Amino acid sequence: MPVLAAQKAAKLLGDESDGSRAHPLHRIPLYTESEKGGKGPLVDPNDPLAMPFSTQFTCGECHSYGTIRGGWHFNYVDSNVPSGRPGQPWLYFDSKLGIQVPLSYRAWPGAHRPEQFGLTASEFTRIFGRHMPGGGSGEITPTDPEAIGAQYASGKLEVNCLACHNAHPGQDQGGATGYAVQVSRNNFRWAATASCEFASVRGSVTDAGPTYDPFMPDETEEKAPRVSYDKKVFDAKGNVFMDIVREVPDHRCYYCHSDLYCGENEQKTEKWTADEDIHLTAGLTCVDCHRNGLDHDIVRGYEGENAHSHNETAATSSCQGCHLGDENGNRPTGGRLGAPVPEHKGIPAVHFDRLTCTACHSGPWPTEKPVLAKTSRAHRLGTINVNKEPRVLPHVWAPVFVKEGWTDPNRPAKIGPHKMVWPAFWGVLDANDGVKPVELAVVTKVVGGVLRNVVPAPTGDWSELKEEQVGEALKALTQAGQAKPVYITGGMLYELDEAGALKSREGHPAAAPYAWAMAHGVRPAAQSLGVGKCTVCHSTKSPFFFGQVGVDSPIASVASLVKSQYEFQKASHARTWFFAFSFIFRPWFKVIAIGASAVIGIVLLLYGLKALGSVAKVLSEQD
Amino acid sequence: MFQTVSIVALLVTFVGIALHWLLTPAGGTRCPVSGGIHVFSLLLIEQRSSLLGALKKLCYLVAVFCFLVLAITGFYPTLVKGEHISGFLMYIHATFAPIFALCLAILAITWAGGHRFTASDCPWLTRLLRRVTRLRLPADDRGWCCSFVVYKLTFWLVMFLTLPLILSIVVSMFHLLGTDWQHLTLAIHRWVSLIFAIAVILNTYLAIRLRMSHRE
Repeated sequence: MPVLAAQKAAKLLGDESDGSRAHPLHRIPLYTESEKGGKGPLVDPNDPLAMPFSTQFTCGECHSYGTIRGGWHFNYVDSNVPSGRPGQPWLYFDSKLGIQVPLSYRAWPGAHRPEQFGLTASEFTRIFGRHMPGGGSGEITPTDPEAIGAQYASGKLEVNCLACHNAHPGQDQGGATGYAVQVSRNNFRWAATASCEFASVRGSVTDAGPTYDPFMPDETEEKAPRVSYDKKVFDAKGNVFMDIVREVPDHRCYYCHSDLYCGENEQKTEKWTADEDIHLTAGLTCVDCHRNGLDHDIVRGYEGENAHSHNETAATSSCQGCHLGDENGNRPTGGRLGAPVPEHKGIPAVHFDRLTCTACHSGPWPTEKPVLAKTSRAHRLGTINVNKEPRVLPHVWAPVFVKEGWTDPNRPAKIGPHKMVWPAFWGVLDANDGVKPVELAVVTKVVGGVLRNVVPAPTGDWSELKEEQVGEALKALTQAGQAKPVYITGGMLYELDEAGALKSREGHPAAAPYAWAMAHGVRPAAQSLGVGKCTVCHSTKSPFFFGQVGVDSPIASVASLVKSQYEFQKASHARTWFFAFSFIFRPWFKVIAIGASAVIGIVLLLYGLKALGSVAKVLSEQD
Repeated sequence: MFQTVSIVALLVTFVGIALHWLLTPAGGTRCPVSGGIHVFSLLLIEQRSSLLGALKKLCYLVAVFCFLVLAITGFYPTLVKGEHISGFLMYIHATFAPIFALCLAILAITWAGGHRFTASDCPWLTRLLRRVTRLRLPADDRGWCCSFVVYKLTFWLVMFLTLPLILSIVVSMFHLLGTDWQHLTLAIHRWVSLIFAIAVILNTYLAIRLRMSHRE
């Protein structure tokens, strides 16, 4: 900590801009990490046993690494950081074991901490680090001696500055020997180096012998990680030119922030058939709105973020912030980046109190049944050997119009489009009827033993479970010492009664679906909901209110259930249906109201003229 | 602001009516129960009526009932809960609104003639005009009935306010007005509805009083 404090205190060369809009040239020396975790020697490209360069000590020469790793992409392990609006969790799934569980270090309701699920920080990083820019869980120092030894070999997964800031097309995040593969092989120390365009890594810590010591490499250790640098990129002084940019290119963001919507009837939809987000089409880049300074406290862009964000552009970087500006501000801020000020002709103002901007403008056009969505982080998009089947786990439904659970305390909860997963996991009931997940290792051993004959689906979909198998698995967990075991799936909680028979409960909070707001895929105004006619939403068959959201579960009888969209909006069926039905009569209402107004207007005019006639008669002094 | 102003305005109206009732009694029974039944019968039962008269009476009663429903559903959430109208209250409000508009249109046609101002309504005004303008206006030395004039005035005020009251909502249902104008039309609807409600209350009160006086 004192080192971090010192790093934060002293400004380095690249910590502060001098105001030039030109890109700073990065012809820099590459430093390695020393055995004790400090700054090591420079990289020697001619050394066959050369170490990977360390971003902490290479980039950290000019940019305060300690400050940067406190940024939003890396600070999720810090419980002191406000969690903000619930975001996309990491989804661990196992089709044979019936698991699909949202995990996060952030305190988002419905997401479980990885250690609750029995995953150490190292294991969590190895599984999900493929789509992380390093730092965070990858830099946690373990306390267990065995884990300390393992981390000595694998190294920490440092913040990979190149993942975002390397504009070179050779930056390899998801390729055959790229960043994701290195992370999955426990090559944490080598991952950033392997991702850059001028180095390659072979071998892995996982495959190396138990005596492998990265700081005392043995040439005979064939399977150990080995770095090969492209010698041509090193100049006479041993420096390397790197195409580092301040403004992160969109395609760097896309590696972790892409999504794909499978079409209706779960047909795979090719990406080229969908249009870009209108902001990108208009020429903006991701970082035009999602900005940050050295602290990497990047703007997420939701309404109310400025209540806890230190980013000075947070207030003006939401939809409203750019398009409308701050009405209470002392200077106009609307219309930033050329954002048009919306007129919303014919849209009653109550919509803006009840709906997020994204409700009408973002995501795929709502259909009778929300479609399955894939995301980079959930489905490993952009990495090798990805299962491209539409029904591959995890099952993420979108768009589901949910009344937000999280909201700015000064504003009412609004309805917006969300992606949604139905959690499925094995857990135990505590004294307060809460559910804690059973550790993955126990589930694998105990439940895996019971379900050993379950046939995995070739598509990567759920392997179908029968309720009897769930009952047997719960009994096995009881015998394994798990008190009051339960199975959560499809909004149901399965447990054993006192006689040992399986029973189920609906509506337990632990079984509630986890939803996170989706903002992108912004459609142009001409394609927003409500354009042209109100009945796009206000009809008894509108997908917005009456769309059928599938309940997701490996148990067939549960998977056939559906929920209507209004149920996630905390609205009653009668109220929603009656209001939608009333729109049939709305044209009549208009006709009657206008007709009545016309009649009254004519009567007023007629008698007004008569009155005028009487006055004129008097003034003309006729008898 | 609207909440405060509305509460004060409605309170002043009701207190004013109560004071007026006490200070200038219209006659008839003083027992609250029998008085209430008497007033109710004056409104509900057409004593000497043709078929058209009965229809006019029915239309008036439907309009009064719609007004009560609209006033309760419209003012209750705003004045009591401090919220905008929504949910079932709004559905009820929107259901009764066109019926009310229709009744008002019928009343405008059938009652307008009877509510014309005549020289006899305000003899003092005629005398004043004759003195000031030297015009040959018909002289009338009879006293005048203030309640009757105010009754007619409130009728025409109700009819006049009906137009912005209806049109402010109807126009917002078309794809014509942007958000700022939507806010404006909503504000117009709310403020006009307040004045409209007070005018209707006064008109109804005076109608009852005039009926009672006529009976006496």
